[in-house]
Amino acid sequence: MESNGMISFKIDAIAVTVEQGTTILEAAQQAGISIPTLCHHEALTPYGGCRLCIVEVARGDNRQIVSACAYAAEEGIRVKTATDRIIRLRRFIVGLLLAEAPQAKVLQELAEELGIRAPARFKPRNELCIACGRCIRACREIVGVSAIDFAKRGYEKQAAAPYFERSEDCIGCGTCYAICPTGAITLRDIAEGERFTQPDGSVVDGPARIIDNWKVNFEMKRCKECGEAFAPAFQLEYIKKKAQLADDFFDVCVNCRP
Amino acid sequence: MKVSSVRDLEKLKAKGMATLCPDKIKIMVGMATCGQSMGAGAVFDAIAAGVKKNKINAVVKKTGCIGLCHEEPLVDVLLPGSPRLTYSRMNQEKVAALLEGLRNGAVIKGALGRMDEDEFLLGDTARPYKKGKVKKEILSVPAYKDLSFYKKQKKIALRNCGTIDPEDICEYIAKGGYFSLASILAKKSPEDVIAEVERSGLRGRGGAGFLTGRKWRICREAEGDEKYIICNADEGDPGAYMDRSLLEGDPHTVIEGMIIAGFAIGAQQGFMYVRAEYPLVLERLKKALKQAEGYGLLGKNIFNSGFSFTITISRGAGAFVCGEETALIKSIEGEWGEPRQRPPFPAQSGLWGKPTVINNVETFANVAPIMVRGASWFSSLGTKQSKGTKVFSLVGKVNRIGLVEVPMGTKLKQLIYDIGGGIPNGRALKAVQTGGPSGGCIPKELINLPVDYEVLAEAGSIMGSGGLIVMDDRTCMVDVAKYFVSFLADESCGKCTPCRVGIKRMKDLLEDITEGRGSREDLVLLENMADAIKESALCGLGKTAPNPVLSTLVYFKDEYLAHIKDKRCPAGVCKALITYTIDRKMCTGCGACVKVCPVSAIEGEKKQPHMIVAEKCIKCGACFEICPAEAVVK
Repeated sequence: MESNGMISFKIDAIAVTVEQGTTILEAAQQAGISIPTLCHHEALTPYGGCRLCIVEVARGDNRQIVSACAYAAEEGIRVKTATDRIIRLRRFIVGLLLAEAPQAKVLQELAEELGIRAPARFKPRNELCIACGRCIRACREIVGVSAIDFAKRGYEKQAAAPYFERSEDCIGCGTCYAICPTGAITLRDIAEGERFTQPDGSVVDGPARIIDNWKVNFEMKRCKECGEAFAPAFQLEYIKKKAQLADDFFDVCVNCRP
Repeated sequence: MKVSSVRDLEKLKAKGMATLCPDKIKIMVGMATCGQSMGAGAVFDAIAAGVKKNKINAVVKKTGCIGLCHEEPLVDVLLPGSPRLTYSRMNQEKVAALLEGLRNGAVIKGALGRMDEDEFLLGDTARPYKKGKVKKEILSVPAYKDLSFYKKQKKIALRNCGTIDPEDICEYIAKGGYFSLASILAKKSPEDVIAEVERSGLRGRGGAGFLTGRKWRICREAEGDEKYIICNADEGDPGAYMDRSLLEGDPHTVIEGMIIAGFAIGAQQGFMYVRAEYPLVLERLKKALKQAEGYGLLGKNIFNSGFSFTITISRGAGAFVCGEETALIKSIEGEWGEPRQRPPFPAQSGLWGKPTVINNVETFANVAPIMVRGASWFSSLGTKQSKGTKVFSLVGKVNRIGLVEVPMGTKLKQLIYDIGGGIPNGRALKAVQTGGPSGGCIPKELINLPVDYEVLAEAGSIMGSGGLIVMDDRTCMVDVAKYFVSFLADESCGKCTPCRVGIKRMKDLLEDITEGRGSREDLVLLENMADAIKESALCGLGKTAPNPVLSTLVYFKDEYLAHIKDKRCPAGVCKALITYTIDRKMCTGCGACVKVCPVSAIEGEKKQPHMIVAEKCIKCGACFEICPAEAVVK
């Protein structure tokens, strides 16, 4: 490592110099080299689970295949992002995921980019949750409520609320829904006058937000000015408390603010 | 009493020697889990009660596993001045005979083996049991060193198991325990210790075989004052129980090894991560730690050296994957037991981000012997790259099932035939599986291979933690592959795609093949998937999961093809592919099969040839087992 805390190494044919602690993925992005990702998100700590971003790293005599998102660059390493071997393995990984969730657009797009089709030998599972963990990491790291986590181990691993019951800590912010790459989370906002019957038979009256996966539903807060139901009341209470805002801070929605 | 000097230790040694070699009759009952599962608990109670009732001047003690698991429950009798005799397969009847003999001062018949001296490995001496003339009946009992099971063994890690009472620290001290620690703290530097371990060539006994000294050095040189020692006692390979026996039979050898390691790397705290499924280990460890703390051998200012070290037990919760070092660390931290990518390696960033040495139970068990007897002694055993000895659990289709310790370089053939006594029931050896779910099957053609890290890896397997499963011609190798893949599918943490999804899909394919739905393309797919999972999985579990599949595809392709092309299981195991029929020429019409058939699938008149109705048959094999005329054909 150079004395100024900078690291120099090679990605494909390109020589790069980055700050210590920069991951191979970040360095590649800086250098304009594209590496596909799935479980990664720039706002979250790296997970390294999907293995789509794998690259070949040579460090001296040692050769390894690693997740680029979770590997802090080291001085003098030689990284290859798209060798025949890597492409073959990426095709393998996307192929496996496609058999899990063939209806997921992101997987279809990845398959097309890689030039593969769903493996015919495997019966599709049709389970959209591919255990990437983005919703969980977002809920923990960005929102800060940790309302959900992984349940079960191995093939059955899924994002879930504790004991698959109604999540007590969820604030209905919908970050999980926004960040899920496959659309595995079902979030619906129903309007005034609408009704929705949940799987357990209970009925929810609008305006409300219902997130099926965590078995939660929230009454929406209405703007004093325009009457728009713009966010779950519970979420706004949480934010008010956390940021120590005035009690009437969210009485008027962002559109109606002066 | 706090032990602050060698002199104090000598006092405890004397105490231990008095119970180790008492002047009265001593009866030792093997009370490890395998012994207890065969009824050793009841045997112990009966002997203790009998000794009391008959006012026999004897002491009855618990001991650990001496390795002759196939002969449990085992009882050793030490008459003053006489060689030690081992009695096997003890039951109430034999206990009664034993007590009778003791009352009359007669030599009890039927001893399996005779030990003339008690080996003190650390002191490189042996203390003879006999004094003066020994009765002829005793000398006629074969000596241990002549028994085929023990002849080729060399016990270093297991040196005290089966001799000392694991619940009495003084007996461990009597055998030289903690003197190594005293000497190191008084005279050696951490650098001295690391150099000695490096020179010994000791490699991690958990399976990966990384040079222990090098790991300690990397950790010592890592930045930071807060460092940790972790003992991986999460032993999870099916069929492997080396670590369990070590911790049940001689917990202090592991504890002492951890303290020495702590001193070497500059750690003040150690953790023993023990799987929850080892309750006796947890019980004995708690006792051992309490005793060590009580004497000041753990805690502050050990031997007045200024060095302090504590050990905390951390319990597992039923996850094989937590034997993987980074997942284990997460588990101790209270998080999900999921591995993470390496680098960074635990030696540089481990528990709570601090430099951590994590070693296997057996690795630690070797540390004190190496420090006392020296690196040259240790490295004189074994092969060029694999020094010392290795503990193996010799299980499966072998006559003498047990726990053995042999020098590295011993041939698989010697383990199976000389030590293990060959294959039972006159059947033929087919393969031996090493390394658990991470290992491979070595066919009978290769059993001349020596036990050595690199040699076994080259053959498509791994040394692993020491599980050695012997397989005969009635083992279906496709079923074996399916078994291990199913095990790993259950145990996968689910973090990475290749393992979470890939292993499950391999399991699906193997199920199809073993149930008659496989095709030739499946074999190509299976091999391609196995290769891809090996290359792209995140951790050791996923990376090695394909080994049982790949090794059986290499060496037993014909079995796979039989399942696929002929829809037949040559070994007669895969239920969907076997049919039971009755040979009308052999059948005597005795009706024994009708009585045992759970689904009434057998028809026939008395004394007339019977017939199995194929549609009803559930392939349980009960008729096959019971037929006295051997008329049922698989």
